[in-house]
Amino acid sequence: MNSLFVPALVLLQDSMLDNMKQGVAHPDLSKFLIIGALLFAIGVAGVLTRRNIIIIFMSIELILNAANLNFIAFSRYLQETGSVNAVAGQVFTVFIIVVAAAEAAIGLGLVIALYRNRETIFVDKIDLLKW
Amino acid sequence: MVISDEEKQDPLFLLITYHSSLITQKLMYRYIWLVPLLPLLGAAVNGLLGRRFRFSERVVASVAVGSVALAFIISLTAVISYGLNVWPKPYVTSQDGAFVYTWIPGGAVELTEGLSERADIEAGRLMDEEAVRKAREQGAKPGEPTAVFLVKPHVAEKRGTGSMLDVEWSYQLDALSSIFMLVITGVGLCIFVFATGYMHGDRGFYRFFAYLGLFMFSMLILVMGSNFMMMFVGWEGVGLCSYLLIGYYFDRKEAGDASRKAFITNRIGDFGFALAVFTVIATFGTTQYTQVFEQARTFPVETLSGLNTWGIMSWIALGLFIGACGKSAQLPLYVWLPDAMAGPTPVSALIHAATMVTAGLYMLTRCNVIFQHSQAMMTVVAVVGALTALFAATIGITQNDIKKVLAYSTVSQLGFMFLACGVGAFTIGIFHVMTHAFFKALMFLGAGSVIHAMHHEQDMRRMGGLRKYMPKTYWTFFAGWLAICGIIPFAGFWSKDEILWNAASTSYVPSGWLLWLIATIAATCTAFYMTRLMALTFWGKERFLEVRAGGQADEAHAQAYDEGRAIHAAIDPSVADRPHHGPEERVGAAHALESAARGEPEGADAHGHDVHDHHDPNEPAGQGHHPHGSVIPHESPPSMWVPLAVLAVLATIGGFVGISPAFAGGAHVGGRLNIVNWLDPVIWNPATGQFGKEPHAETSALQAHDKQTAGREAVRQEGSSAAPLATRSDEGHGGEAEGEAALPYGGESRFNLAHAVQGMLGGSHAAAEWFFIIVSLVVAGAGILLGFLFYVWRPQLPDLWAQRLAPLYRASFNKYWVDELYGALFTRRTMDAARGVYVADSKGIDGAVNGVAWLTRRLSSLTGATDRIVVDGAVNGVAGFIKLLMSPLLRAAQTGVTANYALVMILGLVAAVGMFFGPEIWASLKSAIGNIFAMLL
Amino acid sequence: MVLSGWESFFFWVFALAALVAGLLTVMARNAVHSALFLISTLVSVAALFVLLGAEFIAGVQILVYVGGVMVLFLFVIMLVNVSAEERGSEELFNRPAQVTAAVCFAALLVFGLFYAINRSAGQFDAKVEEHVQAQRGTGLRTSATGVTKISEDTQRVGSSLYRYGALPFEIASLLLLVAIVGSVLLARTSRQELAADDVDPRVVSELSAAGELTPLEIEEAARAHAAEV
Repeated sequence: MNSLFVPALVLLQDSMLDNMKQGVAHPDLSKFLIIGALLFAIGVAGVLTRRNIIIIFMSIELILNAANLNFIAFSRYLQETGSVNAVAGQVFTVFIIVVAAAEAAIGLGLVIALYRNRETIFVDKIDLLKW
Repeated sequence: MVISDEEKQDPLFLLITYHSSLITQKLMYRYIWLVPLLPLLGAAVNGLLGRRFRFSERVVASVAVGSVALAFIISLTAVISYGLNVWPKPYVTSQDGAFVYTWIPGGAVELTEGLSERADIEAGRLMDEEAVRKAREQGAKPGEPTAVFLVKPHVAEKRGTGSMLDVEWSYQLDALSSIFMLVITGVGLCIFVFATGYMHGDRGFYRFFAYLGLFMFSMLILVMGSNFMMMFVGWEGVGLCSYLLIGYYFDRKEAGDASRKAFITNRIGDFGFALAVFTVIATFGTTQYTQVFEQARTFPVETLSGLNTWGIMSWIALGLFIGACGKSAQLPLYVWLPDAMAGPTPVSALIHAATMVTAGLYMLTRCNVIFQHSQAMMTVVAVVGALTALFAATIGITQNDIKKVLAYSTVSQLGFMFLACGVGAFTIGIFHVMTHAFFKALMFLGAGSVIHAMHHEQDMRRMGGLRKYMPKTYWTFFAGWLAICGIIPFAGFWSKDEILWNAASTSYVPSGWLLWLIATIAATCTAFYMTRLMALTFWGKERFLEVRAGGQADEAHAQAYDEGRAIHAAIDPSVADRPHHGPEERVGAAHALESAARGEPEGADAHGHDVHDHHDPNEPAGQGHHPHGSVIPHESPPSMWVPLAVLAVLATIGGFVGISPAFAGGAHVGGRLNIVNWLDPVIWNPATGQFGKEPHAETSALQAHDKQTAGREAVRQEGSSAAPLATRSDEGHGGEAEGEAALPYGGESRFNLAHAVQGMLGGSHAAAEWFFIIVSLVVAGAGILLGFLFYVWRPQLPDLWAQRLAPLYRASFNKYWVDELYGALFTRRTMDAARGVYVADSKGIDGAVNGVAWLTRRLSSLTGATDRIVVDGAVNGVAGFIKLLMSPLLRAAQTGVTANYALVMILGLVAAVGMFFGPEIWASLKSAIGNIFAMLL
Repeated sequence: MVLSGWESFFFWVFALAALVAGLLTVMARNAVHSALFLISTLVSVAALFVLLGAEFIAGVQILVYVGGVMVLFLFVIMLVNVSAEERGSEELFNRPAQVTAAVCFAALLVFGLFYAINRSAGQFDAKVEEHVQAQRGTGLRTSATGVTKISEDTQRVGSSLYRYGALPFEIASLLLLVAIVGSVLLARTSRQELAADDVDPRVVSELSAAGELTPLEIEEAARAHAAEV
């Protein structure tokens, strides 16, 4: 069983950290990172401020996409510095997309169930958890 | 046709040329993995879908027969292409790269067994080197025999070495497995076809063929596997299928008991087999035949005369032999086979005559290296085989159930085969397996045809004169009869004669003449009881017609007969200890004897136990239902007599693949088509230490090594037992006819019947062989004549002699009370032990458990009180405290607004980021503010 | 990763598009508009992926997100009645605490990034730049026409996915299966359950007592239940 997990761990470590330590960086990498950060911040703002649960979901998708952008940017960066595990970022992105799809399916199912029972999709109307 | 280079690069062209070369080179042996797979597929289709989709008989039959026929065709072409291209090397699929599958991957094995043998081999190697060195010192030229006297050095037994045990799933096609593949699929095909007719109208038609297909699969795995583990899988698989098929009529108690008996008896054998496989793994570190036997080849031989009489090879051989005894129904463990006749007749023919019961022979021959390394075990095999042959033959004389006679005949013939293996003639043993498969399958199917015609009447005393009613069955059975009696030129003659000759001339075991004598008596008995069977069944008066005339077919008699048979079955040790020795026991075996003594016409009842009719009342009128009164037998349909005809042809001419050297000028004629030559590569030759008698072109690469080994053997022999070197080197040639003059185990020559006869006849080897051929023909003829005398010319003689030899007759009729003996010795003792264990369990263990439970209850009430007062008090106290102090705080946080929860999450994130990167961000913030101020100012 | 020429141009175009569309996603009053803006954000990000040489992920992004997930969003928006949208007078960012937190977070992120860039900018190695320039485009095979280069990105992702990530991949497939089952369970109505005869008879009686079922439906449910038993 161990042998199944070891490759995944190898995928994570290795030269990525070494390259970071050497301080090899690049201005164009940071451009992508800034874009990703801004998208992330926008997503967070959406999650926090909107009442419509569907838009909150969309904001979450935005956040996930920002993370994807970071992954891909670092993947590209590692690839150019010659790391063998550069593809790891793309593989992770695939899994993030999978999780996002699953989350959307379940979340929207919840929304429909919620709407059917409460006839609202505004989160401030849903306060059953209030003591 | 000229092909350009461009065209040669074309993939399509390559594909076509590849396949055409496949056909021209006939590499069909690459497809042997299909052979076991096809019957399995057929069985799966029939067994899994047959009931659900209500397959008609036609569908079930075509699936089953089609799969087996395809398997037969593939194995036939595979064997032909193997024989043309690869023989005598074995072909192992996975080693060829065509099919690689590690079935049981990697496990470290410590080779702990056989340490002394390994040390011995190491000592031999050291001595070998020493001898060469000394010979050089003495100035001997290389290759020239020198007499150097050495003492074997002492080599300490090392710790066991390690090995990786990888068991692969691969099929091995070689001389031995090819014969078995052909017999199993070929004879099996005949029996499948027969069964479609025999089982017609049976409710469980699909189930029957599913089991039969599964059996084919298991049996093919057994013989085609390339290692001991696969053989074990097949071994257990055929055991399971045998159990399922014997108990096919599971609504009959007799069948259920018989199936359990077969299964349990085989467990004893399988236990020995399993132990032997474990020992093989511990000794050789592998289960692959090729690797095991290559190592086993170098082990020292354990002879009866030397110091090394019983070692690791003997232990392995013993375990294997116990397994073979169980599966091939040899003397201590044969009891299940006669009872196994409770299964449908095609099953008896396929499993309990032609294939499964010969698995033991297959194993013996496959492991002949190991057996030949142990003279003690060779002797045991020979003696057990000879005794079984005689024992079962004497029982067969007095049985009245046609299938029982054939069953005891099978046990007897298997004894002959074991005898052949024991006296070192493994090839002849396999030859007899083959011929026996032909004629015994034929006779079983013939008996099935008779039983079918007589509406499931199996008692021969109610048959007779069937020759007129079913001529096709009669004439095919006639061929089988001549074959089993050993009449020239039928198949049985060639193999049985060779067995007798090898027993007489053997030098593998001491006192071969005694074994020859026993086997010859058994052969006489065989001819006698087979003639009796023919006479009672096919010749003489039509006793089934006397039912009406004699007026004996009253309901009471039929009832008594049925009960008698029930008690007959109750001799089975598994039920023997039930207290049912009531007055009706008289209608059993004793009753038959009494009525025979009174001279009453026996068997005047035709209350057929017709399973078909019982199951299927809507059967067409042609298969008529006659609840009482007589039946008129009818010839069987073509699906039944065509297989009979095929087998009859084989039983007639099948022996020509192993024509005795006496008929052909002292040589095995026919090249590799002669079974002795064909099987030669798998037989170890103790004289040369190599496989096969004569070096083959393919193995010439090994010859250098071969000679070196022989030389080492010679030197070692000199060092240990100081035998003259010349003798050994003479034996090394091994050019003589088999068995003769070659003393495989060394030692002094004892009385040898063949040599004595040869001496009397003026030293001519051929004359001696002819003498034994004539003797075997004479005893066969004598048996037949005796049978004619007793059952055709003077029908009153049997009763007369039964009275005169009453003790012997009773002993034979009751099968020497072996079942009763086993019942008293083992079954009832097991039951007693079970009762004892039950008492110990209910009183001792249950008492202890209940006592502990009582104690636990008492303790738990104490603990419960503690729990209530102390623990609950503490918990409630803390809870009350928290409730008072914390709840307003926590309550305030639970706003129930989702956004607030998200806010808290983000705040937590901010805090976390701030904690880790706070200083850096603060610095950045400061510089940014500073910049802004600088810009502003 | 040095953007040059048109690459740089497209980077700015798509980055700005992504940001603006993202902002509009969050700010739109109508959920449908929001969804459409999100789609444009996702497409822009996909374009950024292409710039980064991750063609496969870009394709997956378009197919799965835009083609699958967003369509699902739109369906759900339709299902839950669009008219229930935040309209007119209501202020959009009407919760000061949340807005403050979001702004703080954004500031934090941006400053953190600035810091990181400041720190690393000084250590930028000219040799790396040289190496990167040398590596540029050399790893790719030329296509048959000799005009374009063939990216091996998809191949590498695939082999990496199946070699190192086979187990997570299988687990992900299981996750998707569970998500499907879960969403079906969550979203179906008691009426639909009734039609599939997947509901307890007691629930049927309760529903009929509440007047939610027509007599015909009750009769059908009873018949289906009898057939099942």
